[in-house]
Amino acid sequence: MAINRRTFGIGASGVLLGSIAAPFIGRAGAAGPTIRVGVVNSMSGGLAAYAQEGQPAFEYIIKKINAEGGIKSKGGAQIELVMADDTSQPARTAAEARRLITEEKVQLLTGTILSAQMLALTPVLDELKMPTLSVWAGGARSDYMFTLGYPYDRGYAQTINDFIVALRDEHKFKIKTAVMGYSNYEAGQQVNKFLTEKLKASGVEIIGEAALDIRAQDQTSAMVRIRSLKPDVVAGLVTPRDGILLHQARYNLNYHDSLFCGGTGGYTDLSLWKDLGPEVGKAVLTKNLFGMTGFSPGAKVDSMQKIIAELRDIAKLDRIGQGAIQYAQAARVLQQVLENAASLQSDDLLKAFRSVNIPFGDPNLYVAKPKGLQFAEDRLLKDGSAMFVQWTPEQDQQVVFPKEFAQVPPRPRA
Amino acid sequence: MKQEFYDTLSSPILWGVLLLAALLPFALSSYYLHIVTLALVYVALASSWNIVGGMAGQVSLAHSLFIGIGAMLSSALLLKLGINMWLGLVISAVISGVLGAMIAWIDFRFQLGHLSFVLITLAFAEMGAIVVEGWEFLGGASGMLLPKDTGDFLAFQFGGGSGSFWVMLTLAAVCVLVNVAILNAPLGFYLRTIRDNEKAAQAIGVNVLRYKITAMVISAVLASVVGTAYVRYLTFADPYLLISPVITIEIVLFATVGGLGRAYGPALGALLLVPLGEVLRGKLGSALPGLHYFIYGVVVIAVILATPRGLLPLFERQWERWRRS
Repeated sequence: MAINRRTFGIGASGVLLGSIAAPFIGRAGAAGPTIRVGVVNSMSGGLAAYAQEGQPAFEYIIKKINAEGGIKSKGGAQIELVMADDTSQPARTAAEARRLITEEKVQLLTGTILSAQMLALTPVLDELKMPTLSVWAGGARSDYMFTLGYPYDRGYAQTINDFIVALRDEHKFKIKTAVMGYSNYEAGQQVNKFLTEKLKASGVEIIGEAALDIRAQDQTSAMVRIRSLKPDVVAGLVTPRDGILLHQARYNLNYHDSLFCGGTGGYTDLSLWKDLGPEVGKAVLTKNLFGMTGFSPGAKVDSMQKIIAELRDIAKLDRIGQGAIQYAQAARVLQQVLENAASLQSDDLLKAFRSVNIPFGDPNLYVAKPKGLQFAEDRLLKDGSAMFVQWTPEQDQQVVFPKEFAQVPPRPRA
Repeated sequence: MKQEFYDTLSSPILWGVLLLAALLPFALSSYYLHIVTLALVYVALASSWNIVGGMAGQVSLAHSLFIGIGAMLSSALLLKLGINMWLGLVISAVISGVLGAMIAWIDFRFQLGHLSFVLITLAFAEMGAIVVEGWEFLGGASGMLLPKDTGDFLAFQFGGGSGSFWVMLTLAAVCVLVNVAILNAPLGFYLRTIRDNEKAAQAIGVNVLRYKITAMVISAVLASVVGTAYVRYLTFADPYLLISPVITIEIVLFATVGGLGRAYGPALGALLLVPLGEVLRGKLGSALPGLHYFIYGVVVIAVILATPRGLLPLFERQWERWRRS
């Protein structure tokens, strides 16, 4: 059959209408009490890596909760997830949240929600009074939002500072000067601001900055600047992409005179080895480099080891990194909130968020928190600390900080 | 000014449509009202761009700079210096107008070809984005969160949902009417002459520099004002949205699909494509990552293939055919 303008139009309309109708097909079969939870994830766009890794783990845990009887305090109500994609754009996070709340009538909201998305979402949450759990935001400006993300100040900046001080004072590394090497974007700038203050207060002299242009195709100029300043340590928050370019530049310049201490993806993402290749990876990742992370397969945390095994062996997930663990944790937090809330009204859900408590040693605590998981008054995690790891030539991670989770002491300077 | 403009202004159809549109907040839910408000933002932006890109034929990619100045500078003036946002709107519009005039002058002075003009304006847009993302005063890469909109009109607050919708409806109507006015004024004829053959226009005595600057200044000022109103609506001044060249690409797309150089073409494009994009994402966003983008792309390609000069000329032809029959 020849395709003319009319048949093309009819075909395109069919595809369009069919696709629009698809999500509604099958919904008719749902029965019993359900709790609708809206999930605004960044499934496409620049931040998709977070949710593409995390969403399968989140869905697995929710399915497991439902299979084990649902939310028992609510008569065994099943959790029904209503998914949305914000395409990694903050304005669209707000629009999708508005849709889920007003059109889909969800009773709770969660999702990737990084810091910029959190800011865009704030007026919508305040207006519609929707209790929300962000998986990744470094702050919470709305009274209705709680977050599992690392606080910029007492999370990222404090952990990096504490580790550098531990290297200097306990492990006797010579650390007197620092260059702030960070990805020049929202979170990188915020962490840098706090980290600079903390390092100065710890007696480390800041001798320069090497802000990494997040659009750059090459970070050689930043590495040349670092080499010219020759600091004892380079510290900051670096994205995976900037990390790859920075480590590549370091390899090309064969520079090993500084320690590189930073977080998170640019230093510890499992994809670094794949993108850099084994030769470059071995030359730079295993020498004078320590990365901050909230998750490491080698951490001495029983519940973390168990969930890794479960996601790998039972859920059959092929990517189990920090994103998967963080989302799995979010599912458990939501479960506790729903169990403990007196009702599904906004005020009761908020009260339940405030009283969340998953102590250290609890099988449902998947992230490494020596003091357990609770929310502080500012709706951020009370214990915002993370771990530091070092890479081995076998491409494995060894936890070196804090002591509670450490497998080995930090490798001496090469 | 041709009589047609005054006829349009006094047309009961125009006022009837505006009145009906103004009643939408009473009929739509919060989400659909948001979609319509967003569509109106893009109607205003695409119409302001049309003055330069459609009528004068200069494909400017600098409009994100003007939108960004309107949004980020007025927000920074409010948050950092306590300057009322109404005054911030005026300051931003003046700066945008001056920058617009400068770009038009550069274009004329160096006799830039079409491609060079596109690249120069893109460079201005990128420079603007880099300055905003790297300068703490303008919010840096983190952006800025404006105070809650309590509806205090004197503080440039419109009360969120309905109030913001009416502001955007007014701005969209103003931008479209400015298009109608220019098309029916000597400026419109000069711009079209410049678009069709700049050298010939110069040869017959058209002051090319003057009219290019005029068009760019009007366009830049309108885009800047819409930028200020848009950021007030969003409450969050997001540099990656408001001063990103991507927003200009969207505007160009809407204007092209609707009908370049026509008074109502860009508005039609925005009114169709913005809701389509939003609804597709809402319905398909969870089905398969990126599927909504794919379908949106297919629809846009289909429209452009079916009617390369835009939807408005197609609708006009259909209307004529229907009237004759």
